[in-house]
Amino acid sequence: MEDLMTKAKQTRNQRSSKGQMRVIEAVMASLIVVSAVAFLYASAATPSSQPQETSELEKIGHNVLHDIDEQGLLARFVYRSEWANLTSALVVSLPTNVYFNLTVYDVNGNPIGHPLMQYGNQQIFDSSKAVASVSYIVPGYQNNYSPRVLVLKLVRG
Amino acid sequence: MRAARGKKGQFIIIAALMLSIMILAVSTVIYGTVTYYRQERWEEYVTIVDSIKTASSNLLQIGLANYSQTSNPYVLRDYFNQWMRDVRKAYPGLGVDLSYSLASGIRSAYGVNLNYSLGLARTWNQQVSFSASDATVSIDVASMGLTGYNFSSHAFLKMNIRDAVWYSKESKRYVLIYISVEKEGPEAVVTLQKSNFGVKLSGVTPPAFSVKRYYSRTYSGFIYEIQVNSIDALPSSAEITLQDTRGIKTVSYTTNIQQSSD
Repeated sequence: MEDLMTKAKQTRNQRSSKGQMRVIEAVMASLIVVSAVAFLYASAATPSSQPQETSELEKIGHNVLHDIDEQGLLARFVYRSEWANLTSALVVSLPTNVYFNLTVYDVNGNPIGHPLMQYGNQQIFDSSKAVASVSYIVPGYQNNYSPRVLVLKLVRG
Repeated sequence: MRAARGKKGQFIIIAALMLSIMILAVSTVIYGTVTYYRQERWEEYVTIVDSIKTASSNLLQIGLANYSQTSNPYVLRDYFNQWMRDVRKAYPGLGVDLSYSLASGIRSAYGVNLNYSLGLARTWNQQVSFSASDATVSIDVASMGLTGYNFSSHAFLKMNIRDAVWYSKESKRYVLIYISVEKEGPEAVVTLQKSNFGVKLSGVTPPAFSVKRYYSRTYSGFIYEIQVNSIDALPSSAEITLQDTRGIKTVSYTTNIQQSSD
């Protein structure tokens, strides 16, 4: 009888220890999986999108200048010095979170005198890591050949 | 019995480790796929080629505008020669090279045969008048290995005096001239103002005239109606000079002026 009781006690202790081990194993396995997921989450940095961003802005800038040119307005604005109209046309045509700075040069690279054509603070251009630059050439206006190169710099705010 | 239990416990840990490795591996592949972006160098050249293409087309309009105003037959050739040099300067270091071929001889433009010389043609002083320019341009960009990118471009302006009628009704005597204007496409030109037109009746410029634009069912298109008042006698001829917003000029002339008392 005493033997039976001792055996039963031993069996209960063994079962208890087996259950504890399973709990510990489950906790350890969970910890491994959770730490793997946590590692992934922590190391998932935002991709470096500067080249893509610049490329997108270049396309936007070129398309906007091309559209204004197609309407026959770009040459008029440039050669009749309608700088305010040109700035307004760009502000209206570009997405609201895109800032720009436009400079006009002759074909030899000499800047043409014109007021500052910029939308957005200079600080945005200085601090931005992705500044796109678009060159667009306009050959002349009406019957006068006198090429101008428009350099449009774009950043996203 | 104890050894078997120990093996079972290790298996769970190993399974968890393998699962973690799988999660890490799959996540890395998915992350790489989603954030993949390869900057293609040719993308920046597309905008440059497009810019040169548009500007070359505009140059044809500028050349035609100059030719129609000054009658200088060499202007387009001179402009293109200068343009070739200026494009190289405007895009230094890219190896941009431009060549051109100006239309010569009889060519069809929007259903009309025009006799081109050095890329320019005009047929003026007729009821239907034209001014046109035509050239083929080839672009090479050495830095991207692009050679022989060809495109043809043309500028065109057509004016047609559809009808000219002298109205004589009681004390009111006036002339109405109905005109249609088209540019390359062909596309109706609907943005012209009074300042774009000049009128002569029997070789004399009237002191005043008015211009109206509307869609006409009679002519199935947009029409400019020019009215000249106080014309006491039937004019022998009507001459309309048009200079569009691009500066391209054309002159139509007719002696076919109808008389109406309705």
